[in-house]
Amino acid sequence: MNGKQRILTALAVKQADRVPLYIHGINEAPIIGIGRHITDGLPGVKDFRKMTDSEKFKVLDTLFLIHETYGVDGFTAFEIGHEINLDDGHVQDEFGVTYALSDFGLTVAKGHPIKEPQDLTRYTPPVPDRGHLLLLDLARDRFKGEKALFWLMRGTFVRCWRLMGMENLMLKMFDDPQFVHQVARMTLDYNLAQLDLLVEAGLDVLVIEDDIADKNFPLIAPDQFLEFVNFYNRQIVEAAHKKGLKVVRHSDGNLWPLLDILLDSGYDGLNPLEPQAGMDMARVKAYCGDRICLLGNIDCIDLLPNGTCGQVDEAVRTAIQDGGKGGGLIICSSNSLHPGVNPENCIAMFEATRKYGLYDTP
Amino acid sequence: MVLNRILETLQKGDVKQIADLIGQAFDAGMTPEEVLNQGLIAGMDVVGQKFQAGQIYIPHMLLAARAMHAALDILKPLLAGNGNARAGRVVLGTVRGDHHDIGKNLVSTMLEGKGFEVIDVGIDAEPEKFVAAVDETIQIVAMSALLSTTAPFMGETIEALERAGLRKNIKIMVGGGAVTREFADSIGADAYGADAATAALLAMELVASQKEAR
Repeated sequence: MNGKQRILTALAVKQADRVPLYIHGINEAPIIGIGRHITDGLPGVKDFRKMTDSEKFKVLDTLFLIHETYGVDGFTAFEIGHEINLDDGHVQDEFGVTYALSDFGLTVAKGHPIKEPQDLTRYTPPVPDRGHLLLLDLARDRFKGEKALFWLMRGTFVRCWRLMGMENLMLKMFDDPQFVHQVARMTLDYNLAQLDLLVEAGLDVLVIEDDIADKNFPLIAPDQFLEFVNFYNRQIVEAAHKKGLKVVRHSDGNLWPLLDILLDSGYDGLNPLEPQAGMDMARVKAYCGDRICLLGNIDCIDLLPNGTCGQVDEAVRTAIQDGGKGGGLIICSSNSLHPGVNPENCIAMFEATRKYGLYDTP
Repeated sequence: MVLNRILETLQKGDVKQIADLIGQAFDAGMTPEEVLNQGLIAGMDVVGQKFQAGQIYIPHMLLAARAMHAALDILKPLLAGNGNARAGRVVLGTVRGDHHDIGKNLVSTMLEGKGFEVIDVGIDAEPEKFVAAVDETIQIVAMSALLSTTAPFMGETIEALERAGLRKNIKIMVGGGAVTREFADSIGADAYGADAATAALLAMELVASQKEAR
């Protein structure tokens, strides 16, 4: 089996020749940190946006090389070129959402263009741009069908709160539900239009990235989730399936209170199974491992930043032992490989997946 | 009975009705302190308990917080002294490099619901900003971090408070997505709050322990 076959088999909740390996997301620092083990000439760690064109080319090439060298079976692409620089510390995306840049990882949405219903009357929604799929094109041409191509699509909740502001969105669910539906519908139209472009570009797996929970609980009530979020995300799932794609649901946090809803929504995979949030691999596998593929679970909050390679090796072994039986498991970290992870631990995770992931029987 | 209705209305977040009920409470001869303690603070206690039990979610807390702020706007001018700092004063912020504020804002709401005055130093707050906000009236410094990469700045902030000679007079409370109890212990924090409601309860305990120590 090649990587693509391995991933698609696991997403069908079937057993491949070995447990596949995947990187959900990765920042500049771990690309460069891991990359230094396999190539020379990498730039110092800095924001991709602040790199020269030759540095960007080198970093992207290294990202591909990491996937080839360590046998990562799927490649995750995401939008490039959809942001404009406002100043040294801020960018704005195609929706008009402003983000504060941070030297420590995630950008954070700070400027929200649609706070009130009247803002919608002045707002022109963006149209998906084929050019923003450049990374997917590059990966397709590089891997030539050897690896499954994933795409991170922001889901309804994330798009809505970025447009409206988190607290404002939550209060508008009570004060003006129709307004929330209007915004959600607009984001759905965008996502469905982008889906068409993604299919034409050769995508295999759509990841609906829509964080909806913290370590303790979902951020909103299950009934709000059903009405304002899942109703729309589910339409993306159905559209993607009609076009022959597999669909993975990504959300941080404790998803137990929403798990039955997610299982009923037709997703093929669930990611990233955060251990600190109670998403214990053995428990999730026992509950729904025969219905949905499980992706993730290798702790990126404490283990990958602060643990030893031996501890990472053991965590991978345990995850495969707990979740690998019968297939339907893809190993990756419990969220992105962020600037805080130790590159050597990432390599240990890659190597341990190869070491322990081989199935005894085909 | 009107206090029970204030308590219930707070949970529903009905700003207009809570204003009407406060008026009714005054008409019935109740003091602003009674309305605050037996209506609003008791109501936010119930909100916090339900949140911790997973019976309500963040939107419901925000709804209650909005009603509480509306009620406090009415009560504050009528309360003797600084009615919003009855439990203590807390310096609260998200540490350097971290721009996340939702968790911090929830903690602020729950602290206010317990009667604390919150001095919010904002997001991406340098250690010096925390230090500058601390004076002899502050009992607690509370820090939030969502990212593994920014959580270490909690430790640096504690060190800055020590260098400024302020550490011995205050308690340190930490929380956020990247923070665990073990991490909190490792940087010398006094308490770790797993969620906003827990943080408010811990703040009460920390202030009580300070009073006992004196």
